[in-house]
Amino acid sequence: MIPKRIYAAWFVVHFFLITAVCFAGIFSLVAEGTTALPSVLDKYARKAELIAAFVLGKEAAASSPVRRGVATYLYAAGSQSGYTFFAPNVPGYYQLSLELNYEDGRVEYESPRVSGKAAALRLDSLLNRLADDRYEPIREVVVKMLVFSVWREHPGVKKIRATFGSVTPPSISDFGQGKRESFQPLFSYDFSLRTEQNE
Amino acid sequence: MEFLFPSESDKWLAILRIGLGLQVTVYTLFLKSDWHYLFAGTGKGLVSRELGEAIISFDSPSIPKLGWLVALGSYVNVAEETVLSVAWACLLVAGCCLLRGLFCRPAARIAWFLHRCEAQSGGLLAYGADNFMTMGLFYLMLSPLPDRFSVDHRLVKIKPKDPQLLGFWRRVLQVHLCLVYFFGGLGKSLGSGWWDGSNLWRALTRPPFDIISPDILIRFKYLLPILGISIVLIELGYVFFIWMKETRFIWLGCIVGMHIAIGITMGMYLFALVMIVLNLAAFGADPGFAERRSRTIRKKFERSKQTQYRCLV
Repeated sequence: MIPKRIYAAWFVVHFFLITAVCFAGIFSLVAEGTTALPSVLDKYARKAELIAAFVLGKEAAASSPVRRGVATYLYAAGSQSGYTFFAPNVPGYYQLSLELNYEDGRVEYESPRVSGKAAALRLDSLLNRLADDRYEPIREVVVKMLVFSVWREHPGVKKIRATFGSVTPPSISDFGQGKRESFQPLFSYDFSLRTEQNE
Repeated sequence: MEFLFPSESDKWLAILRIGLGLQVTVYTLFLKSDWHYLFAGTGKGLVSRELGEAIISFDSPSIPKLGWLVALGSYVNVAEETVLSVAWACLLVAGCCLLRGLFCRPAARIAWFLHRCEAQSGGLLAYGADNFMTMGLFYLMLSPLPDRFSVDHRLVKIKPKDPQLLGFWRRVLQVHLCLVYFFGGLGKSLGSGWWDGSNLWRALTRPPFDIISPDILIRFKYLLPILGISIVLIELGYVFFIWMKETRFIWLGCIVGMHIAIGITMGMYLFALVMIVLNLAAFGADPGFAERRSRTIRKKFERSKQTQYRCLV
């Protein structure tokens, strides 16, 4: 039987880490200036976010055992990210539109697809991540993989233009006046599928 | 110390086990048609599993991932596709075992491990429900299983679990949920869109959550600010009102109602189910709650220990 003091100590450490993760999430929202709070607080929130990151070992070297130990534990407990879903505001969404150019000159439009609703939520989550600046280094690789997944179903395609953009839905009053969502392209890539080279 | 170790029966643990068993089973069945497509290696699926695993490895290389199982499979000449199919089948079986209460602890460990592997390998594709499932399975495998409603308990006469230990793990779940809702509510309260209803409009009209037609929603536009404010207040108030005997069931009802509404109106069935299960396990079982029953449970436990002692002598 493990003594109660051990359980109590684990309880304190466990919730200390989870609270730090939660505060890091809140401070990050404030620091990004996405909240209704005055912008003068942004720099303080950035500092506080750094303190929370330090507590979680994220400021240590990538090979630091403390950093790795804390990260592994938090992932194991399912608590590696905060709970700021749809906060402070619900963002617009993103679309990846693929223009398929066939050898015979035909053009078709497609999007990456999955068959189930549960998987569709995951695809939506992936597209939201692609728009995030933190994912910029892998953006092209991921788009290339998504393009490749569509190409496998359309082997006759010669070239694919992938356009990634944000969709701004109309506000409730705009919708009442007949306005519909607008698409704003953010970046596009041309893939020649014979060589799989990004032009 | 008394706060951390209240005496509890194992009803809440049965709810958590059965609920998470159902969650894992439904989760695997929902992902059946897309399983290989989502978790296949480079050039075979939607995006490469290896890419997701490489990103996660920056945080720590020791986080479980499907790549470990695939590597193990290739060591004994088993193809990647077969390994993924076996992982899917094992997760389904673990879910069914939890649901029935058969081999509870090994089933909880296997379910936690395989789900963690899947969530890490599909890291780029993961969303909120994954974290809550891992969290629930993590607490379930650490809790004193099996409960008395399980098949395990009927097959093998297992000595009663320490009510204070049961109380401790329930307390952990309760405190965690309070943090979830408090920070969720705090984050929402900082955005203007939750106070004027525009966030609710946006959430309900953006794909893939756009189950209700905007033409129907616009008829209820005056309700949206009220619902938006209610969501913020329910989440922020959870940490206070769920502990008070007078308001506990009102708040529990509100939060369960909120998740049912999220499931129905946004199609987030898995997210809704796991949140309802966690809430019912944490605050739903034992309406009388611990304070009233703790003495009786403790007495029963002591008596059963004495009985066992007499049998041994």
